Amino acid sequence: MIPWRAIRAIISRDLTRMLRQRGRLLSSMIRPMIWLLIIGTGFGTVLEQFGRGSYQQFMVPGILCMVLLFGSVLASLSLVYDKESGVMRMLVIAPFPHYWIILTRILGAAVVGLCHALLLIVILAAIGYLGIPHSIPLLIIGLITTALLSAALGALIAVYSRTLENFAVVMNLFIFPTFFLSGALYPVDHLPPLLQWITRGNPFSYGVDLLKHAINPGLPPALAPDFSIGLDLTLLILWTLVALTVSCLRFSRPVALERLAARLATRR
Amino acid sequence: MPPATTTPQPVLTAHGISKRYGSRVAVETLDLELAEGELYGLLGPNGAGKTTSIHMLSTLVRPDRGTIRVAGYDVLSQPVQVRAQIGLVFQDSALDRTLSAWENLLFCGQLYNMESAHIKQNIRSCLQLFKLWERRHEPVANLSGGMRRALDIARGVLHRPRVLFLDEPTTGLDVLNRRAIWNFLEQLRQTGLTLLLSTHYLEEARNCNRVAFMREGRIIGSGEPGALIHALGDHVLEIDTPTPAEHARRLGSTLGTPIRLDNRLLFAVRSDQADLGALQRNLREEVHSLQLRRPDLNDVYTWINCP
Ligand SMILES: Nc1ncnc2c1ncn2[C@@H]1O[C@H](COP(=O)(O)OP(=O)(O)OP(=O)(O)O)[C@@H](O)[C@H]1O
Ligand SMILES: [Mg+2]
Repeated sequence: MIPWRAIRAIISRDLTRMLRQRGRLLSSMIRPMIWLLIIGTGFGTVLEQFGRGSYQQFMVPGILCMVLLFGSVLASLSLVYDKESGVMRMLVIAPFPHYWIILTRILGAAVVGLCHALLLIVILAAIGYLGIPHSIPLLIIGLITTALLSAALGALIAVYSRTLENFAVVMNLFIFPTFFLSGALYPVDHLPPLLQWITRGNPFSYGVDLLKHAINPGLPPALAPDFSIGLDLTLLILWTLVALTVSCLRFSRPVALERLAARLATRR
Repeated sequence: MPPATTTPQPVLTAHGISKRYGSRVAVETLDLELAEGELYGLLGPNGAGKTTSIHMLSTLVRPDRGTIRVAGYDVLSQPVQVRAQIGLVFQDSALDRTLSAWENLLFCGQLYNMESAHIKQNIRSCLQLFKLWERRHEPVANLSGGMRRALDIARGVLHRPRVLFLDEPTTGLDVLNRRAIWNFLEQLRQTGLTLLLSTHYLEEARNCNRVAFMREGRIIGSGEPGALIHALGDHVLEIDTPTPAEHARRLGSTLGTPIRLDNRLLFAVRSDQADLGALQRNLREEVHSLQLRRPDLNDVYTWINCP
């Protein structure tokens, strides 16, 4: 049995919160624009051998994935903060199995990430960095699967962390490495072997690659997608399912709930 | 033929439930049976195991041993069905402070899969009862502590549960708010709601039709408040003296063994035993004060704890 009303309620609460924090939403657009306009221009001039502006063109899928990653992971991590807050109390006592707390959190976080990505798409289109994509269905599939993957990875971090006082720790230890080692900024094929292996092991790389297929299949070979669409989709879905299953199982363990119940019992 | 008399099925039964955390006993072989419409009080000092008991009864903590049935469902094997039948008001607020009262209750109703029209109707009646209707669109963070607590209780009963667990529901509330909340709970009880309450305010437990005293995870005494008080005696004689040991010895032969709390001696006495006038005459020079009063639950608690 799927608690549809509860899912809808949780997602709409996430959206309400996102819209109330419009300042944060807009400022999360600044980071990708800095990458694209400043760093992209800088490297672009070095890499002009591939054609004027083609490096920035190459970066577009990467920075779209970047806002998905930041948006969804951080929204998912709010699970940790919810652990302290009243909302988690409402959720643990609600009449559905506890793994739905994780599943709905992942869905809500993915929707939040997708909203960030849509806003960025509008901005990019307005300033001329994004035309009609090569394949709109593939773009949509790529955005959704990457958002879900990011949200599931965020949930995985959340269920393994007792307390996360520090966003900086997650940022530096998880989000930045995931982004840098993903082929978002440079083609995977040209990396040294060790980094190449890490990148291939990074599930996020396949989201970036899928968007490269959707937006930029026609760039010069050096900047073209690295993997096949089939491989991208398979690994994205597999990783998402693994992250989601592990988070649900870990969250639903009696001992985990016990610890959670103890924390929810009183403000400490 | 006379109609068959049916004893009402208990709405909650717990048999021998225990919970340890490592080597620390939180709850030890607890038995409970609540009839529909009861107001049952779990009393005890900090760390007695009240919250742990409530969490076991409400599916959040798994007991090491024992069985629990609530509203016809088994807590261990049918937790979701049980949660649909119960409400739980935590010791601390279960609200989203960034949302309004209205949004909080709407969110909560949706978690219980209620129809939108039904939710709105229930929210209206709850908020009006608590006099929060006018302020329903303000963020919860703007409400006073008492209003938030009231809202929390409204959240706990929005889906019309059969059993409501209240973990120290009125901690930190002023007398007026406390009374308002009790009036509200009493109204709900009239409709058949069963309430299980934990508290360390003994005045509050007077409203209960049964109470249990807990200490170190065990129930060390239980019954109807009136009967417990009556069983103690007709009066409590309280003597404040600089020489408690001596007075305990001197008065013990006629009044029985007292409870000694620092410099105070408490005797539970029957009407025919207590000749206050004579005592006063005998002791006037030696004691700081002497008081004969009706016993209350505080005294029951004192006697249970210091046998
Ligand atoms: N998750 C936990 N891990 C370890 N010990 C725990 C845990 N939860 C409760 N305890 C211990 O179990 C005992 C009972 O705690 P409980 O919270 O049930 O008491 P309480 O009667 O609700 O107290 P209070 O009036 O302070 O709320 C305490 O000794 C407490 O330290
Ligand atoms: Mg407690």
